[in-house]
Amino acid sequence: MTDLLQRYLKSVERRLPKEQAKDIIAELREVISAKIETEEAKLGRAANADEVAAILKAYGHPVVVASRYAGFDYLIGPNYYPWFWHVQRIAVGATIAITFAIIALRSLGADEPFRAAFRGFGGAIEAALICFGVVSLLFVLAERYKLDMKWAQKWDPKTLPRDHMREPKSLFETFIALVFDIVIILWWVKVVNFPNQVPLRGDASVEIHLSEAWGAVYWPILVLMVGAAVVHLADLLHPAWTRLRSVASIAGHASGIAILWVLFRAQPLIEVGPANGADAEQTEKVFRLIENIMNVSMGVAGLIWAVVIGVEIWRLWQTTRPPAVPPMPHSLSV
Amino acid sequence: MPVAADIIEVLRLELRRGTLILAVLGCLRSEKYGYTLKTELGEKGVDIDEGALYPMLRRLEAQGLLTSEWREDAKRQKRFYRLSADGAAALDQLTIEWRAMNGAIESILKEGGQ
Repeated sequence: MTDLLQRYLKSVERRLPKEQAKDIIAELREVISAKIETEEAKLGRAANADEVAAILKAYGHPVVVASRYAGFDYLIGPNYYPWFWHVQRIAVGATIAITFAIIALRSLGADEPFRAAFRGFGGAIEAALICFGVVSLLFVLAERYKLDMKWAQKWDPKTLPRDHMREPKSLFETFIALVFDIVIILWWVKVVNFPNQVPLRGDASVEIHLSEAWGAVYWPILVLMVGAAVVHLADLLHPAWTRLRSVASIAGHASGIAILWVLFRAQPLIEVGPANGADAEQTEKVFRLIENIMNVSMGVAGLIWAVVIGVEIWRLWQTTRPPAVPPMPHSLSV
Repeated sequence: MPVAADIIEVLRLELRRGTLILAVLGCLRSEKYGYTLKTELGEKGVDIDEGALYPMLRRLEAQGLLTSEWREDAKRQKRFYRLSADGAAALDQLTIEWRAMNGAIESILKEGGQ
């Protein structure tokens, strides 16, 4: 009995604050001994090891018992928790954004850009995890030492967004968009290449290239692609809708429509050449098919972008109107 | 649809959490050690787990609301607790608060036909 109780108390003591441990253990010893003696009085004999173990088990695991004396129940308590996620979002978002910018720059200058970019992604995840860990540690320390949170009261309701005009974009959605931006920019500036051969029946195939028509809009397209990446970077830091975001969207989509117009007028959009023994008829067929698909796709894209512009203009217009006041319930109206 | 038992249990625990301290302070107007305190609370309908009671007594002592001393009783060394002067003042204030809140809640529940 003594041995089990002794081991239990030692196990609790190891987890207690040093300066109070002896005193707490003395009291615990008295409390649990009294429980064992009460049990023995009921049984009319000395409690065996199983009976003592049952009493100790009912009192609680040493980790749980010791934690009740720790003086703090939370790693990050309710006062700090909302700020924890707010700061994590900004810190991890900024870390990912900065790391990806560095990856893009390094990949552009590397001999093997694809491999450099791939290695960089691993580094980005590592940096994000380290950032998450550091911020978590800071908040645990803030909770442990009850950091003054008066600064959190220094906010102005007038700086809140006027209206909830668009659901804030999720971090995942923005992250995927940013990765896509980087890959497509690297392809556009010919740092990375994608397969451009379309297999036909048998061993024959054709090679597809963008036509000279695209040369006239090379720089505008690159500027638009970089602009989209910048907007997605901004979304990481500030996912809520802003007027600036809306203006950027209108400008971007309007420029996109202008580029589509230029391309429509400068047909053809692609060049198709035979490879691996494809004949002229097959090549011509593929050319017509892909040209038609691209024309239809660009037409659909133009329509969708026009709708997007309309929606963004509507959102901007909505913010200039005074907010609608919800009707007062009858029971509260005077 | 009936409210799930676990939700009721969480609400019940939240409701009890603050009132337990008031009950403990109230009981310790006269000196007691842990076991007699738990027994007295139990007899009055306030059950408290020992695992929660002793850390609570220690916190209240650290806040200056209780005093304690080790003394021999029935051939055993026991730790006796009682309300300090600050504890008595805190108990008076909390009692006023409790009665006001209790009255307000009663009134609300009566209006709702509870």
